[in-house]
Amino acid sequence: MRVKVIRSGGFAGIEKRGESDTASDPLLRRLVDRVDLGAVPPPGRIPDQFLYDIDIDGDTATVGEAQLNGPLRELVHHVLGRPT
Amino acid sequence: MRCTIVPPHMLERVVHDAEDPALRDIARRTLALSAALRTERRTLPVEPPSPTEDFVPNRTIADAQNQEVLPGETVRGEGAPATGDTIVDQAYDWLGVTFDFFEAAYRRNSIDAAGLPMISTVHYGRDYDNAFWNGDQMVYGDGDGVLFNAFTGPLDVTGHELVHGITQYTANLEYYSQSGALNESVSDVFGALIKQWHLGHTADQADWLIGEGLLAEGVNGKALRSMKEPGTAYDDPRLGKDPQPGHMDDYVDTYRDNGGVHINSGIPNRAFYLASVAIGGNAWEKAGRVWYDTLTGGTIKTDEDFAGFAAATIAVATGLYGADAAETRAVQQAWAGVGVQA
Repeated sequence: MRVKVIRSGGFAGIEKRGESDTASDPLLRRLVDRVDLGAVPPPGRIPDQFLYDIDIDGDTATVGEAQLNGPLRELVHHVLGRPT
Repeated sequence: MRCTIVPPHMLERVVHDAEDPALRDIARRTLALSAALRTERRTLPVEPPSPTEDFVPNRTIADAQNQEVLPGETVRGEGAPATGDTIVDQAYDWLGVTFDFFEAAYRRNSIDAAGLPMISTVHYGRDYDNAFWNGDQMVYGDGDGVLFNAFTGPLDVTGHELVHGITQYTANLEYYSQSGALNESVSDVFGALIKQWHLGHTADQADWLIGEGLLAEGVNGKALRSMKEPGTAYDDPRLGKDPQPGHMDDYVDTYRDNGGVHINSGIPNRAFYLASVAIGGNAWEKAGRVWYDTLTGGTIKTDEDFAGFAAATIAVATGLYGADAAETRAVQQAWAGVGVQA
């Protein structure tokens, strides 16, 4: 599965992108098994907070930084550490 | 995409049942915006202060000790001596300058016009490249030292964040699409004015940059945004190029960043710059007064678009200076100059 993360927002408004594939990334595979994009709460409206667009094989969600916890948080930072 | 008239239950349904993930995402986002309308806002009118009352700030600086926790441990309260931590003391000083600006320029007593305590958390996270207003307080990262310096450094960053609080307590502009870009823009406008007031710069002398000093050494850029020439603040292989437009012809349609709130704010930012230099003198006195009265006057909608905001500034200028005054003409021409038809 291909996983893409785009960070937008923040005071600077500068985008940051990362991408990885579970086929060659065993840590990512374990993280994907533990997240449910359908259960993510709405991003809220916090001025200048980071927003994360997460795409797991076409399944997408937008998460606000304040709601980014647990395995989803690990997944986001792991994938953003692999810039495209 | 805007779908504010769709009832929440229908959106909930789309969030859970729609087959198209993009549609689910739009519905989820819209729901979030609706929920946000319930965020804190002063509903009772503020008692007007006596004309001679000296407003006194109430600052608290907390230290997150490089964790992502809020508010963290209090390290300096109002009136306490400097701590020796330059980040803590800078945050304290800039809150004071921001408070003093609003008292001196517009007789406003803090964020809510009723002396609300100001709380800032510093040393938030590790290598954290951001500052934000979370609805109750300001939060600052130290930056990664490679691309960004500490966000407590530039005075206009503190001004920008605190003004998100003022907007929340007044016009409460929805943080999405054009009203969101206006929310961002008024934070930049007053952030810039606080710095100009602090330095004693007229509109002609000011640099009109936002976040000067925030980019680390070696990054190709002078700041994060330019109100004078949006799109020219930075151009660096690691950060990309400043994406801000300065005219409606170049308006960016995107769903990211809450509908491009940090991108399209370049358009109203430049309108403010144009009005300020056309009027001349200290920008906080006339153009700033017009924008301040528009933001706090209760006439604009929470989902106001650029055209509606522009019309409101012209109405305020007309009320302050007269329909045929040079100031009012300057405001009209400023909006026309960025392609916004009021």
